[in-house]
Amino acid sequence: MNNLFEDFNDIEMLAEDLQSTDAGERIMAVIELTDTADPEVIPHLATAIRDQDINVRKQAAIALTDFDGVSTAAALVGALSDEHAEVRQAAAVSLTELKDPDAGDAIIPSLGVDDEFVLVSCLAGIKELRRADAMGPAIEALKHHSASVRCEAVNVIGWLQDKTSLPALRSAAGDNDALVRRAALTALGFNKSDHAEQILVAALTDSDWQVREAAAETLTKSGSAGCVPSLIKLLEDEYWQVRLKAVRTLGKLDARDAATLIGEQMTVPVPNLRKECAAALGVLAVSDTAKFLEPYYDDNDPDVRKNVRWALEKIAHTA
Amino acid sequence: MPLAQSSTSVPVVVNDDLCIADKGCTVCVEVCPLDVLRITDMADGRKTAHMEYDECWYCMPCEADCPTGAVKVNLPYLLK
Repeated sequence: MNNLFEDFNDIEMLAEDLQSTDAGERIMAVIELTDTADPEVIPHLATAIRDQDINVRKQAAIALTDFDGVSTAAALVGALSDEHAEVRQAAAVSLTELKDPDAGDAIIPSLGVDDEFVLVSCLAGIKELRRADAMGPAIEALKHHSASVRCEAVNVIGWLQDKTSLPALRSAAGDNDALVRRAALTALGFNKSDHAEQILVAALTDSDWQVREAAAETLTKSGSAGCVPSLIKLLEDEYWQVRLKAVRTLGKLDARDAATLIGEQMTVPVPNLRKECAAALGVLAVSDTAKFLEPYYDDNDPDVRKNVRWALEKIAHTA
Repeated sequence: MPLAQSSTSVPVVVNDDLCIADKGCTVCVEVCPLDVLRITDMADGRKTAHMEYDECWYCMPCEADCPTGAVKVNLPYLLK
């Protein structure tokens, strides 16, 4: 029996439409080639991404999101230098959708270029492919004058989760751009070592509150009892978001010495912080902290009420 | 659902000169979650997309996904 959809799957016939003099027909050819979902169309889309019409090129760049592999990556990397920003942007987005590690073969050579947009896009594209050979270029990119490039380079290093990257992340944690510092501190989460913890503890006094928040959050994953005194100091931070992360980490680290100070945070008019404090007090289950929780048994916020009641039960059970 | 009386008084406006519905494109019709867009024949025989029903969530994929930039969604002032 003939395939009822044979006409729709005729890639060569659709590819011929890419030669049409009408840009609209070429766009439709790109869309229909994409709809086949057949990797054999990749060379045709790679041709279309160099079309004379901007809309055809943009559609081809979007279409390549549905495909993977080294040919797709090569076509997209080429489009990062397109004369039109719309095409460049579409190609950059599609690059981040690649999942096949082999696609990195087409991206890694471009990690040595100086163009900021190309470099940022290529670093963002290689990140989730987790190619070990991206580590060298990513460390090199940490010297780039653009903070966006340095930030993406840190993300690449973080995704590789290689303990030898600690010196590079330590350097990035001292970057003059707060976004780079935040990215570096987050990347340190996988690295459970004294050196990493020292970097994170030092960042708890950073001038940027989001950096302090990131450091406190990362310590939730990798911190040890040694960082408790620094986290207790953070309970006086002017930003409740920072205090919230400190409370969470102190609960996780079973910092019973901090229970009273956490209880005192319950008076703060921020439900998210009260909720976190109640959860931490429940985990710590220190008997004389029930007095901080009792006034909030009927808190207006249902999540706070739930955590308060759970924490009081835990404390009563422990007593 | 009220029928749209005029193509210029509805949120989704299509530039007929840029629209390639004539070539078989139906992207905006396919992505509209409310199914309010249609392909229609114009007086000169060409086809174009238009808003058949005056109902819009302003979710924007019709504008974002149009391959030629022919679709424009006019956001109400309070949503801008």
